[in-house]
Amino acid sequence: MVPLLYFQLLGAALFGIGLYGVLARRSAVLIVLSIELMLNAVNINLIAAASYLNGTGRFEAFDGQIIAIFVITVAAAEVGLAFAIILRMYRNRGTVNVDEINVLRG
Amino acid sequence: MPLAFLIPVFSFAACPLIILFQRWLPLRGAPLAILAIAGGFAVWVWTLFGFLGASESNPACAVNGITHALTCHFSTDWFEAGLPGVAATVDQAIHLDWGILIDPLTIVLLGLITFVALGVQLYSLAYMKGDPRFGWYFAWQALFVAAMLTLALADNFLLLYIAWELVGLCSYLLIGFWFEQPGPREAAKKAFVVTRIGDVGLLVGILLLWVNVGSFSMTEAFAAAQSGALSSGVTTAAALLLLLGAMGKSAQFPFHVWLPDAMEGPTPVSALIHAATMVIAGVYLVARAYPIFAASPEALLIVASIGLITALGAATVALVSTDLKRILAYSTISHLGLMMLSLGALGWTAAVFHLMAHGFAKALLFLGAGSVMHGVGAHGDVDIRRVGGLRRAMPITAVVFSIGALSLGGIPILSGFWSKDEILLAVSGNLPVVFIVLTILTAALSALYMARAMFVVFFGPEGEDSAHAHESPALMLVVMGALAVLAVGFGWIAFDWPGSFGGFGGFVFYDHAEGFHFNIVLAGISGVLAIAAFVGAWLVYARRSISVASWRARLAPLLKVVENKYYVDEFYQWAIDRVILTTSAAVAWFDRAMVNDVAVNGPADVVRRAGFALRLHVTGHVYSYALAVALGVIALAVFWWLRSA
Repeated sequence: MVPLLYFQLLGAALFGIGLYGVLARRSAVLIVLSIELMLNAVNINLIAAASYLNGTGRFEAFDGQIIAIFVITVAAAEVGLAFAIILRMYRNRGTVNVDEINVLRG
Repeated sequence: MPLAFLIPVFSFAACPLIILFQRWLPLRGAPLAILAIAGGFAVWVWTLFGFLGASESNPACAVNGITHALTCHFSTDWFEAGLPGVAATVDQAIHLDWGILIDPLTIVLLGLITFVALGVQLYSLAYMKGDPRFGWYFAWQALFVAAMLTLALADNFLLLYIAWELVGLCSYLLIGFWFEQPGPREAAKKAFVVTRIGDVGLLVGILLLWVNVGSFSMTEAFAAAQSGALSSGVTTAAALLLLLGAMGKSAQFPFHVWLPDAMEGPTPVSALIHAATMVIAGVYLVARAYPIFAASPEALLIVASIGLITALGAATVALVSTDLKRILAYSTISHLGLMMLSLGALGWTAAVFHLMAHGFAKALLFLGAGSVMHGVGAHGDVDIRRVGGLRRAMPITAVVFSIGALSLGGIPILSGFWSKDEILLAVSGNLPVVFIVLTILTAALSALYMARAMFVVFFGPEGEDSAHAHESPALMLVVMGALAVLAVGFGWIAFDWPGSFGGFGGFVFYDHAEGFHFNIVLAGISGVLAIAAFVGAWLVYARRSISVASWRARLAPLLKVVENKYYVDEFYQWAIDRVILTTSAAVAWFDRAMVNDVAVNGPADVVRRAGFALRLHVTGHVYSYALAVALGVIALAVFWWLRSA
């Protein structure tokens, strides 16, 4: 059996890549993709933890998996919404580069 | 007698009725005011006989333990405050009765007020004829009379204070009756503001008594002052605060400045309010609150000193004034000072007696002055240098005015002689010798200025303004005639005639019944001085056989000071311009620079600058927000990790 730590390292690596993507990327589309990466890093953590803790009595079976499925569902909805916004943004401003979109500047 | 409260009620009712319905009433509702005060007079007569017939068998009446005079008291609930829920116990609640107190002082005062008010209102019918605000005039007159009567009847200080302020309001409204002209307007404001200063003292005094006695009732306050339940400091403070109110209303130095200016009002107003009734409210207050004053020798000495300063100072100004009404105004101030002096000298009965005698005589003189103004067609000042010899054109006015002047001047056997004599006696008996010397001087001066006014206006050569003079309407003459009878005869009730209840002093007294004292030395001195003053004035102003020009030249510097009324008005103007306005400017600067700019706008400015600085971090870039979120999460994670470790 693969130790839990490996899954957690994988999740942390994926989350770090996603976070870097959110912070460093300039394209709104790639930022959304990076967010998806972070969500999936969380999913890996959840499922790994669930299977690791299964049978210890501290959680019900499949709790982690159920939450992961919720996350996937919400992520799908979120992507739909995010791309709709990005589409409107492109239509209005002709770009999806977040550097150029700073209407909230004080 | 229980219905004595109706005396002011009629007039109180008349005022709003006239205001509302003057358009449809005959003579703009003036008969309503006259009927109301006539009704008040009738009730007074009825009350007088009821009171004379009353004894201690009447459950409402008892011999007062302090004044030792029969006092009848009728009262009913007014209001309660502090119950339920607010006060912890019943005795912490405020329960107030209101009612009327009928004792000899009230009786004689009510008689003066109702009689003079009735006369003045009848006189006003003719005098104010054709005035565009005829109805309003009588409405304010009715309100004034009602308030003044309430003031005399009140059995507690709160009711007295309400009436006190109401008469002040009416005085303001009537002085400024011709408010289209700047003079009356300014005079009304001045009168209101100056008397207000005193009124604040009165209010504080009443509250001081209330705090220490626990009641607004006069009877209880006086009992506490006499029994020693109040400390001597509180008694003196209360007396002086009440005196402050009295000084404002009764135009005592240094608050006398409003009364001469108040002559800008219609002359019947001057006769009623500023000679016979409202200005005596201060003297009445001191007389009414005498148990408090009597418990404090210091307060009495201050009352006497202020009275003497006022009497002497005003008498000298009256001597050199050239405006007829102002001579009378300063004469009023001087005589009010004499009354205060008498009160301070324990001459309580003498003060009340002089109050009455002066009230009738001075009302007569003012109505006479009004008749002169009516006759020569002046509606403001009567410069006595421009009128003269009016006895030919206005013989009846000349006779009644002369009677008033002789009476007030203290010519023997007229009213003013007896009352002034009583005051001299009280002063000589109870005060240091300097007081009696100056009082006799004041009395002599008062004869001199009355003689001067009388001889210059009615006798001597004709003046330039007297060419078209004509006698006044009969109504005015009848009223003046009635007052002239009293100016001659009122003084005689001082004697213990058979059936007269022991004369005036046996009826109106404080502590013990006063007989009529006659001191041949004092009476001789004052009588001779008065006659000498009239003879001298006749020689100077009527026959013109003696010239005072050389005297005037010799006394020029002194005369200048007196003619400028001792520069009191100028001093006030200087104090207002320099002291008060400078202080106000400093306060205004502090308000602008400190309160407004620093305290109010300061915090707002700090917030604005902080916001300006802080807005720089709002870049609008999505990744900077994301970075902040990420760093925050990491910081939280580190924080929790350290805590759990």
